[in-house]
Parts: sequence; structure tokens; C-alpha cells
Amino acid sequence: MNSFLNTIWSSIGKKWVMAITGLSFCGFLVFHLLGNLTVYGGPELFNWYVEHLHSLGVLIKIAEWVLLFLFLVHVITGLLLAYENYRARPVRYAVSKTAGGRTLGSRSMAITGILILAFVVFHLLTFRSAGQKEVGDLMILTNWFHRPEMVAAYIMAMAVAALHVSHGFWSAFQTLGAGHSGRKSKFKTAGIILSLVVAFGFGCIPVFISMVS
Amino acid sequence: MSANASKLINLTLKVWRQKGPDVKGGLETYEAKDISTDMSFLEMFDVVNEGLILEGKDPISFDHDCREGICGACGAVVNGRAHGPEEGTTLCQLHMRHFDDGDVVVVEPWRSKAFKIVKDLVVDRSALDKIIQAGGYISVNTGGAPDANAIPIAQEVSDLAMDAASCIGCGACVASCPNASAMLFVGAKVSQLKLLPQGDIESAKRAVTMVETMDSLGFGNCTNEGECEVECPKGISITNIARLNRSYFKARSLFKKGVN
Amino acid sequence: MLDSKIPEGPLEKKWDNYKFNVKLVNPANKRKFNVIVVGTGLAGASASASMAELGYNVKTFCIQDSPRRAHSIAAQGGINAAKNYQNDGDSVKRLFYDTIKGGDFRAREANVYRLAQVSNNIIDQCVAQGIPFAREYGGLLANRSFGGAQVSRTFYARGQTGQQLLLGAYGAMSRQIQAGKVKLYTRREMRDLVVVDGKARGIVVRNLVTGEIEKYAADAVVMATGGYGNAFFLSTNAMACNVSAAHKAYKKGAFFSNPCYTQIHPTCIPVHGDYQSKLTLMSESLRNDGRVWVPKEAGDKRKPEDIPEGERDYFLERKYPSFGNLVPRDVASRNAKEQCDAGKGVGETGFAVYLDFRDAIARDGRDSIEKKYGNLFQMYERITAADPYTTPMMIYPASHYTMGGLWVDYSLQSTLKGLFVIGEANFSDHGANRLGASALMQGLADGYFILPYTIGGYLAGAKPGEVDESHPEFSKSAKEVEELYAKLLSIDGDRTCDDIHKELGKILWDYCGMARNEAGLLKAKEMIADLRKEFWTNLKVAGTMDQFNQNLENAARVADFLEFGELMVTDALFRKESCGGHFNEESQTEENEAKRDDENFCCVSAWGYRGEGEEPELHREELAFENVELSQRSYK
Repeated sequence: MNSFLNTIWSSIGKKWVMAITGLSFCGFLVFHLLGNLTVYGGPELFNWYVEHLHSLGVLIKIAEWVLLFLFLVHVITGLLLAYENYRARPVRYAVSKTAGGRTLGSRSMAITGILILAFVVFHLLTFRSAGQKEVGDLMILTNWFHRPEMVAAYIMAMAVAALHVSHGFWSAFQTLGAGHSGRKSKFKTAGIILSLVVAFGFGCIPVFISMVS
Repeated sequence: MSANASKLINLTLKVWRQKGPDVKGGLETYEAKDISTDMSFLEMFDVVNEGLILEGKDPISFDHDCREGICGACGAVVNGRAHGPEEGTTLCQLHMRHFDDGDVVVVEPWRSKAFKIVKDLVVDRSALDKIIQAGGYISVNTGGAPDANAIPIAQEVSDLAMDAASCIGCGACVASCPNASAMLFVGAKVSQLKLLPQGDIESAKRAVTMVETMDSLGFGNCTNEGECEVECPKGISITNIARLNRSYFKARSLFKKGVN
Repeated sequence: MLDSKIPEGPLEKKWDNYKFNVKLVNPANKRKFNVIVVGTGLAGASASASMAELGYNVKTFCIQDSPRRAHSIAAQGGINAAKNYQNDGDSVKRLFYDTIKGGDFRAREANVYRLAQVSNNIIDQCVAQGIPFAREYGGLLANRSFGGAQVSRTFYARGQTGQQLLLGAYGAMSRQIQAGKVKLYTRREMRDLVVVDGKARGIVVRNLVTGEIEKYAADAVVMATGGYGNAFFLSTNAMACNVSAAHKAYKKGAFFSNPCYTQIHPTCIPVHGDYQSKLTLMSESLRNDGRVWVPKEAGDKRKPEDIPEGERDYFLERKYPSFGNLVPRDVASRNAKEQCDAGKGVGETGFAVYLDFRDAIARDGRDSIEKKYGNLFQMYERITAADPYTTPMMIYPASHYTMGGLWVDYSLQSTLKGLFVIGEANFSDHGANRLGASALMQGLADGYFILPYTIGGYLAGAKPGEVDESHPEFSKSAKEVEELYAKLLSIDGDRTCDDIHKELGKILWDYCGMARNEAGLLKAKEMIADLRKEFWTNLKVAGTMDQFNQNLENAARVADFLEFGELMVTDALFRKESCGGHFNEESQTEENEAKRDDENFCCVSAWGYRGEGEEPELHREELAFENVELSQRSYK
């Protein structure tokens, strides 16, 4: 057990934690997106989906708790890493330029991470609490996305999430030691495709709903 | 040659000066006059220093030795880039023709908690030696080695090992990493030895002890930004970091089973 | 008087006989002995590791911030061994013969034979250490031919063989540091050897970070401090390479051998300005396809492309029709100098000749040339900003390696008991000229396979810990070192030490470089004496003693070069013949080739220090050749 803790506490161990939890969220995002796509099928299909989701009962509760746990682990480990990395260079450079390795996504991981945290809290407070009042489900969405500022906020949030995924997905595979992962890695391409799917998939929903309603 | 004939340029240098490890330092300005574009960056420093010595001032201290890009002694962050703006080169092989007349050039030492400043641009990189001491070798004594051709090694494998082995230990990867991480340095050594059958035998133990030592020395964590790979004068790929990650994972699971 | 202690028996059995007869140190006693190793190049690092493995306590010192930076790291080409993997007829005996002949018959047979014998063990050892030597598709080791040998016996790791071998030795030493058997001292410069009752007992070093003078005692001292090529100021050596440690040992009674034997490498990138700090070597393999020429007319300043074929002088091809551009290093170098001295040199400074690939590209196509030399062409372009595919390269000879060094006997012990000298720092194996890919072999042979045996022979007869740092000789040395630094700082004149070093380099280059004559050497001797006076009255050094002070470090090294340079000249004056790297214009054949004088100079010179301002005392070790026949080289 000691060995396990030692491993997890090492620099690479902490990165595995980030990678495994991060990839779980990528999986979650994909499922969430698949579910949400039922919006395009009209109110009946969407309500059918929501009902089925609710009918899972205790399973969904467990999934929620697991997700919450992974989320906390991801956030706390991420903050810890960011703090350690900051401490590793006590005196900063007066001039600092990128050589071309960093991307917008990679350099903003901490910021996009915090923004996503804020968004998730907001998202849960609005939709989840609303969902429990058992008002017509699609109605809630249409009510929300009736307001253009909400549409804008959601699209922004999805862009931020996509940015996070664009580096995070590839980075997770690199951390887990997958194959050839240099500058021309296929995981890098896959990460960018996934981030675009997330951005467009989720991002179009509020636009669609606001237009339909 | 004629198209690139050397010319003379003038530069304004802003160089980090610091008398010792625990003293406050700062950027100081020097005029570098009549610098031939054929000079290397370090020769430009030589010229500035000759002037400073004759004026009775303290010349700029900087580490350097072979001046042909292989010993790894030199290195500074020039205008925000480790070893200067050219890719695949060390500071000693950076020539002044890459600068324009009137340029302002800011020169700073490698910055990392693990590299204490000795003086000016000179830093203490013994942390890298300590990592190697923790396991960056194959444990064979002198004598008793089998014939060199006893174990054939595929050319591609040997080439990959050589790619990783070309590390010169300059520390540019740490200096350019946004997190001052030494993962490329460690990854290169772990990869080189793991790829070869002779080194694979103790690869589990090696990965663990080297990473533990690295962690204890104050380096940051790798966040796969890839800056190191671009700034590495020898172009060592971060694939080697992935290989280290994998070795470390395997090593830890082996350790639990009591192997090694 | 000079006893080289060559073991009895036939050449092939000498090393075995030596190993059998040498006294051994009981394993339990080994840990009571302390050995100091100065230098962490191939020889120093491999010796430190091997002795520590045997059980000795080793203290290892290096001048750089890390032992991995020693200048062995810059060797490009490869390392020789008599493996005969290519089935082309190589053998220990052939490697031995090539080395003796390449050294122009001025090396000791027994030493060279032993070197060839252990060469094979080195390759085995290095492969076991994980050195990624080049391999064939089938997975076996690849070889290439090199430097005049008729067999392919050179093992290589791209163009970074020295780096890989050094990192192997550094790894082995690092393992012993971890095990606590080697204690490493970085950024320390040996400034004196401490001798008590005729035995080497320790060293005095300057801590380059704090400026403190530190004392270290041991039961034996091993010097692996490299060569003195930087006496010329401009050389292919690293900036920190210096003669100080060897020179101090000489002043403490160790004899210095053959200081005039310096190797001038023909294919270096030419000097391009007064500010230049260093010369870069280009692999001599370039001469396989490049043609060397200068304009026929002195002072022709046209662009090389504009000079028609009829107005070019391919002087090597003209003078040496059978070897052409592939004459040995010393011949190629000397002829380039001759052309430049006649005003036919090219480039801004006039000290360069063309190395032209135009015809090779026309013959084989650009791709084929790129495959062979692509990385070299790239390196050339990076430094000079000229493209060798379209315009000829310019090359000029540069000081590269020094065959001379501290005199050692068969066990690598100097004339001072307990002082062992290994690698380039000793004089032993290369005679008057070193063959390509042999330096790495010698450094590792000494460190891994020879010294660890021979030092046992000395220590077996010694009592551990007889002298420690409290001995008055240590304080005396330390005081002298401090006084020297104080003196350097006190002059406060108008010239920097680099400025004076450049002047010394020019004197040595002009009069004790590729070609020498008596009048020039006598003049050089005077000039060096005058320059030394100038140095001690008009030097300016910045800063103080008790700090990191690179300028002060340098000044002390230049002070030693100024004394040592004179010894080089003295030795060159003594050797009235021509041989290998020493070309005496007064001893040449009718075709202007080097002419040896085996009757009078088939010997090693070994100089003993007699005191400030005194001429050194000459000792001769006569060389006996029982297994090879002495012949005159010819490349016509």
C-alpha cells in the first residue's frame, strides 16, 4: 500500500491520476453528448431519453457520485501540480517566448480547468436542480436558451471545454506512455477532432433550441 | 561566401548579473560594438568581456568549454529562448548573423529551483548528475563482458537508442519547460538503456530510482507542452518521455510483485 | 637512468607476464587505500570507475561543472579495435604495426602491443555498458576504415563516438559515486602536486566556485589531464584544456617527454578573425572526395567559381600523384601552409585553401555526396554561412592533439613514485604522430584495463595513509598557489591574458608549428621569454581571488603555457631530425619530405626540471625495435 501511495504521489503518478480521471471525463462527455443529441429528434425523443435516464435510479446516483469523486480528484491534483510547477521556477524569466511546442490549449490548461469547474457548478445548479422539479424537461432548456446571453455563455463554456480537451486528450495518452507520441502523434490529431466534436456537438444545441423556440 | 560576407553590427545587451547564489541579481545593460556577424554568441561575449576587464570591471561569467556544440557546458536564455532563436543549436554555435544591427538582446541564466545560480549566467546543474548517479547506467563491472557481437541488436532499435543517447546534458529542456521539468533528460537516458537488451534487465529499478531522485531535487512536473523537444539542441523527441512513463508504470507494478 | 620496466618475454607475452608477476593488493586492504584521479575524460572516468570497482577509495576531480563535459566528448570519428569482424585480415599484430608505423617509429613497442591487445576488450566493455554503436541490418556491429589503415577496424556511434564512450565511462563512474566508492569534486582545478620524500602524496586544487585553495592527500595520484594543444591558443581543444597540472608535476620532478610532438589536423574551418576563440574540426573523411587547390597566381582574389581550371593548382595531386588528396595528416597540413606562405592562400585572411566538391558532385551526383557528408556540410554552413554544394569549402590546419606528455614506464608510472599518468596526458603510445580513432582507444585502454592492474603493483608495496593533509608540504604548496594568484591580481597592467595568450599562440604556430627550423626556434625562445616578462609586468586580471573568477583561472593557465611553450621549443631544437608531427626543415629528403634520423634520434626525450631560469635536463630513453623494421614513409 505504501508503494501504491508512493507511486501516486510521484510526479508521474500524479500525472496518471490526471490522465485517467481526464480520460473518464472524455468518455463522459461523449455519452453526455450522445444523449443530448436526442434534442434534435424533437421533444418526444428528448423527454424519452430523460425519463430513461431518471429511471436508472440508484445507478445514476452512483454514477453521479463517482463522477463527482473523479472530478474532485482531477481538480485537486491539477491544482497541486500547477502549484508545484509554479514553485519549480522561483525566479521567472524577464523575457519568455515559446519555441513552438506549446499550444493555446496546453498553455491554458489551468485557466480553462478553473473555468470548466465554474461552469460545471453553474450547470448543475441550474439544470440538475431544475430537473428534479419534474417540469417538462425540454421546457427547461427552451426557457434557458430563450435568453441570448445564456446561449452565448454556453457556447463560450463549450469552447473552453474543447480547448481543454484539445491538449488534455493527447496529453493523457502521452502520460500513460502510449506509442509514438512526438510532435506528429496520431493522438494529437484525435484530441483535436474530439475537441471539435465536443465544441460543435454541445455548442449547436443551445443555438438549435433558441432557434426552434 | 560573398553573398554572406561578414559585416559589423552593434547590439545592446541586457545581461543578468548576480554575484553569487544568495545575492540579488538584475539585468545590466552593455553596448556590444563592432560585432562581426561571423562571431559566435560566446565570441561576442569574449569581446565584451575583454573590454570590461580593461575597464577594471567584472567580466560576465558564463559556462562554456568545447565551443562546438557537444559538451553541453554553455547555455543561456536569449530573448526568451533557450540557446537563442535558432533551433537545434547550442549557444556556442549560434552565430551573430542571426541578429540585426541595433537589436536589444536579453540574456538570462537557466532558471529552475533545481539549478542554483553560481554567478551571472553560470548555474549549478549537478542535479542532473545526481539523477544519473541514481541509475542512469548499466551495472556492469570492468572485465568479463561477453563478445561485443554476442547479442545482435536490430539497427532500428540501436538507432532509436542513439537518438536518445545524443543528449548533451545542457539543461535547455529544463530551462525551456514552462514547469522547469527534467522529464526529457530522464526520459532520454531511461529510453536509451531500456531499448537495448543489455540495459533492459534493470530497467524497472532504473526508472523508479531515477524518477524518485528527480522528484526530490525540485524539478517541476511534465505537462506535455513539448517546448523541451523544440529547444533541445539535439532534437531529442518527447516520445522518450512517453517511454519513461510506460517504464515507470510497469516498474511500479513489478515492484509490488517483488521483482527487482 | 630511465627504466621503462618493460617485462621480459616475447612481445605477445609481455602483458601476461606482467600481470602474473605484479604484486596484488589483498581485497580487504584495497579499501584502506585512497587514490586521487585528476580529470574525468575517457581515461580518468574509466580509471575511477574501475579502481572503485576493485575496492579502492577514489577521489575524482574535474575542472568542469560535470564530469560528463571532459573534452573526450568532442571526438567524432571512432575507436579502433582489432576485432577483425569484417574478415579483412586484421589482427592484434596488424593494429600494433599500423600504430607503430603511423607514429613514425617513435613509440615503445611493448606499450603499443599491449594497447592493441586490450583494444578488443574495450569494445566488449562498451557494448555491455549500452553504448549504441552503429550496426548492420543483421544486428551486428558496423565498422569503417579510417586514417590510412587498410582494414576496417573503426567502431563508431554516428559522428559522436567520443561522446558515447565518455558517457559510458561517466555512467560507470556515476554508479561508483552512488555506491560511495568514488567521491566526486567538480569545478576544481589542480594547481600543484604534493611530493613527500620523492613520492606523489596528493594535490592542491583551487575550488573554482569559492576560490578556496583545498588540499587532498592520497596514497597515489593519477593524472588524466589531457593534452596541451591550447598552447597555440587556437586549437580544436576545448577552452578549459590546459597544461597546468602536467606542468606542475614536471616542476615537481616528473619528466616531460616529447613536448614538440603536436598533431596539426589538416581539415579545420579556417580562422576568420582576431576574435576567434576556437577552431572546429571537420572529419578528414572529406578528403576522400574533395579536391584541395589554390589559385596558381599569388594574390588572385577572384571568386573560386570564376577561376578557370587551367589557373588552379591542385597541389597535393600534383606533388603526390599516387596518394593525391589522401596523403597523411602531417603532409597535407604542411603543404597547405606552404601554399599560404607563398601568398596563394584564399579567403579574407589568406590563410585557407579550397576543398572542392564540384567534381565529385558532377561525378556521383549531389545526393550521393549529401548522403556521405550531409551533416558535415551542414555544420560547415552553420559556422561559415557558405554552401559547400555550390562553392568550395575553405579549410586550414589546426592544432588538434599532442602526442607528447609526461614520461611513464610500462606501468604508466611517471618518474615520480606514486604518480601515474594516463590518456593524452602521457606520452606513451602514439610516437610522433597519432592515427585517427586511436586516441579513444588509448584513453580507455589505460583507464579500464591497464592502470587498475599496474597501480596495484605500486600500492601492494605501500602502507596506506602514510601522509595526510597536515603534512607541511601541503601547506607549503597551498601557500605558493595562493601567492601565485595574488601576484597575478597585483600586476594591474594593460593587457588581458587572452591577448597575451594569442601572441604566444602565434609564436608557437609560426616557429614551432607545422614546420620548424633552428633559426626560427631560437628566435621563438627569445620571443617567449620576452612575452613572459610582458605577462608578469603588464597583465590585467579582473576581480578577486575569493570568488568565481574565470579570468583569474585563465591567467594562471596562460602563465604555465608561457613556461611550457619554451619547453616545446627546447625539445624541437633538440630533435634535429624530422618525424611525424615534428617537421624540421633542415632534415628533409630531396623531395621535401620528412627525413628521420634513426641513428641519432631513435629515442624518447624526457626533460627534467632544474629550476627557474635553468635549461631543463635532457634524458633519453633509447627505443629498441625488435619486432618491426624501421622504414621511411613515402607517399609519392
